Amino acid sequence: MLAPENPSELPLAVHRREPGAFERFVECWETPLYNYALRLLGNAFDAQEVVQDALLRAHKALTLQYDEARCRELVVRPWLFRIARNLSLNRRRGVWSRSDVTMTSFDDNRIGPFFAPDDGGRELERKEEARRLERAMAELPTESRELIFLRFMEEMPYGEIARTTGLSETQLRGKVFRSLKLLRRALEPRGVAHAV
Amino acid sequence: MRCKSVLMRIDALRTGELPEAEKSVVEEHLSDCTSCDESTHDLAELSSLAKELLVPPARSCASSLKETLHDSFGRFQFEGRTIWVTFNPRGIRAITTGEMSGEEFRRSRPSLSPDESEVPANLREPIERVLRGVDPGDVPLDLAELTDFEKTVLAAIRKIPRGEVRPYRWVAREIGRPKAIRAVGNVMARNPIPLILPCHRVVPNGGGVGNYGWGPAVKRGLLKIEGVAVDELDALARRGIRFIGSKTTRIYCFPTCRDAKRIRPENQVAIRDEGDAETKGFRPCRHCRPASLAS
Repeated sequence: MLAPENPSELPLAVHRREPGAFERFVECWETPLYNYALRLLGNAFDAQEVVQDALLRAHKALTLQYDEARCRELVVRPWLFRIARNLSLNRRRGVWSRSDVTMTSFDDNRIGPFFAPDDGGRELERKEEARRLERAMAELPTESRELIFLRFMEEMPYGEIARTTGLSETQLRGKVFRSLKLLRRALEPRGVAHAV
Repeated sequence: MRCKSVLMRIDALRTGELPEAEKSVVEEHLSDCTSCDESTHDLAELSSLAKELLVPPARSCASSLKETLHDSFGRFQFEGRTIWVTFNPRGIRAITTGEMSGEEFRRSRPSLSPDESEVPANLREPIERVLRGVDPGDVPLDLAELTDFEKTVLAAIRKIPRGEVRPYRWVAREIGRPKAIRAVGNVMARNPIPLILPCHRVVPNGGGVGNYGWGPAVKRGLLKIEGVAVDELDALARRGIRFIGSKTTRIYCFPTCRDAKRIRPENQVAIRDEGDAETKGFRPCRHCRPASLAS
């Protein structure tokens, strides 16, 4: 039997030790997990190790610890991301910085803009903006960077972010909102955001 | 609805996660309020640009995972006991014991090659040597999956000489983590390569022989053939004696220390603990280090 195309069927296939299933599983999740760990840890080497470790643990859980029913019901992404999250946080134990930055509310009732308006979508400019965004994200407290990543890079629904981070959806809405404010502020001093 | 409440919700609206009831209110507000409507646009742009920051890992871990997940396994008999060895080209990954079929063993571990293989002689012989109470010599081991702490602890217990035992507390102190006694115990309990990594030489802080993953009888047997007087250890533990001192040198040792064994019976002094040693004017032995020398 070949590994299933549908990623949601992979846990069960891995559990049954179907040939190629785990390879497919790794292929599916390696890059998202790597990007997540990278944003949590800030360095490629540690991120790489976390990914490998997380995938190993996932494999062990699926093949040895979980029964068929559990594998069938498993929502893979938040489960896997949570493993990677815990491993990442273990790695930076104690350094896990919490945001205690005070925030001023926007006076113009707008979240953005984060970038200069699109004037014809020139490739170079977009690259430059992406770099600027990367730098701004690096300045954010880890929690905000994590949420921006999960929400806007990984496009995770709030429900899954809640399961990944252990925060409630209501908490998350507020935190994502505040993270966006922080992000905008981190982008501002470089003169990207035009005055509204 | 006020602008702030709307801004808190437009992100959920963007992905269609906003409950129906709130959706209409927010949408209505957006049609009247330019700045909130523009914020919706801002978020869409952020989400589109953010995707450009996604990077592939420098090297895929697929091949190294595949390697770690395809260990070979095999078994051999030693004095009526089945010893299972999990190994790969780097060395021994795990040693376990138990009566089961090859298929049962394969299912008990995360991922092994489909077929059982013969345990190579260079891996089997050292294990047999330990079971006979002899030095195993050099054995290739694969410890890659252990944490740094586990590696440190296991490296420390490898230094316990054959024929001697040390308490958990000693191991914790030797690795510079005197409070991590319980953690050391956990590493012993999880030791993937018993026999070769001699966790059978680690004993309870209060003395005696203690428990073992393969059963206390196996631990006693192993220690006995390595030359440890296990019954004597039990007797000392019952009397609350942890160390033996020498009247002539004023030095105290663990009872199994090679120096302690040389103290003539008439010169032996029973010592209960470090404090007792200090009041009696004894200093710790430099070989078995029953207490840190600095203190």
